[in-house]
Amino acid sequence: MDATIATETTPAGGTGGIERTLKVLGWIMLALIPVYGWMVATAPIDSVQGVMQKILYVHPPLAYGAYLGFVATAVAGGLFLWRGEEHHDQLAIAGAEVGTVFCTLMLITGPIWARGAWGPGNWWVWDARLTLTLLLWFVYLAYLLLRSFTEGDERAARFASVYGILGVVLIPLNYWIIDLVGGGMHPNNIEFEGEDKSLGDGMGLPFLLGNLTLFFAFAYLLVLRWRVGVLRAAGERLAYDQENL
Amino acid sequence: MNVALALFLKDLTTELRSRDRIIAMFVFSFLVVVVFQFSWPEMEKGEMVRFAPGVLWVTYLFAAVIGLGRTFALELENDAMTALALAPGTRGWIFLGKAAATWILISVIQGVTAVVFALFFRVDLLPAASGLALIVIIANVGICSVGTLLSAMSVRSRFRDVLLPVLLIPTLIPVLTAAVHGTTGALASGAVPFTALQPLIVISGIYLILCFLLFDFVLDE
Repeated sequence: MDATIATETTPAGGTGGIERTLKVLGWIMLALIPVYGWMVATAPIDSVQGVMQKILYVHPPLAYGAYLGFVATAVAGGLFLWRGEEHHDQLAIAGAEVGTVFCTLMLITGPIWARGAWGPGNWWVWDARLTLTLLLWFVYLAYLLLRSFTEGDERAARFASVYGILGVVLIPLNYWIIDLVGGGMHPNNIEFEGEDKSLGDGMGLPFLLGNLTLFFAFAYLLVLRWRVGVLRAAGERLAYDQENL
Repeated sequence: MNVALALFLKDLTTELRSRDRIIAMFVFSFLVVVVFQFSWPEMEKGEMVRFAPGVLWVTYLFAAVIGLGRTFALELENDAMTALALAPGTRGWIFLGKAAATWILISVIQGVTAVVFALFFRVDLLPAASGLALIVIIANVGICSVGTLLSAMSVRSRFRDVLLPVLLIPTLIPVLTAAVHGTTGALASGAVPFTALQPLIVISGIYLILCFLLFDFVLDE
């Protein structure tokens, strides 16, 4: 198996496509960021929640990024188990790491908004989606711990792929059970009404742009992390070859 | 299939002779139940019923983690893991034999713990006994499935004692939630509500099939 990996991931070979994708994503992101920043800055101030409402231009897009990352991890993990190609595993690592960063930021911005909207002491509510996200965050921390504690690269990749698949199956299961058992226990979740319906005039476009920008930021970071992994593996192989010549 | 049966009998026989896991799990469960006593304010006799499902299942979960951590510990000696990986047929059968043996052990411990709990906290579990048994039987399928899979992984890593609970507990939250919900219903009315039974069956079923298939990637020569 090692021989096929070596030809695929040498800088001259497989990473060329990654390199190009990275450049394109990087430029799109660079172009979007100032527009996004300006739009959020000039968006109307919410009459009820004030400036605090602007967290909404960041928070839901972060959530999408987190979920995308975890789905990427599961899909890449499945591909790795199926085909045994190392670069799929590198993508799985990238998905988990970038997803965890997005998830962490989401878990930080959420309570800040909640404290502002619901008053002092209301940092957290055991609402279905909050609970689900928190559990997911734990699953991916466990995923990263599993990677760093398992001995042997190939074995760590295999174990992590298995756990990544388990983790993504857990998302609908958790959502279902929390909804089924916890339903009706909590007050209306204003946050998601805000996302769907109560976006006022002039708030739709910045929100859309937030989604777009953070999506490209996510994609850029994912590919960047992927490239680092692939290059590192290639470098290690090169060093190994030179030592053993 | 023969592999599953052979491993199942082998695990139960070694356990019957050494009684390591079952004693450790029982002492641990007993301790956790007692520890809870020091964690809450003084309560009337009837009030305890509200806390019983949660306390019981947290105890069950922790005891299961202790037991599952030892599932593959014996196989590390003499490199028996390699022999397991070389066994003929689908590796899923190895998983099934291991999981079934653990399922029996954990179920026995949970039954004994329920009796201890009922005696010490004066909670009358008898009217809910059949309901609780049903929940335990189904929920343990889910717990043992994921537990056996993750145990085979964590046994191969550094810090395996820490890693298993960290990996396992987040994946068992849906099972735990449904089980607590079902136990609450069983204690209140004697019957297990369908809203708890349905997810328990579905989730345990999904876990069983998924872990059976994924186990193939967890053993290595």
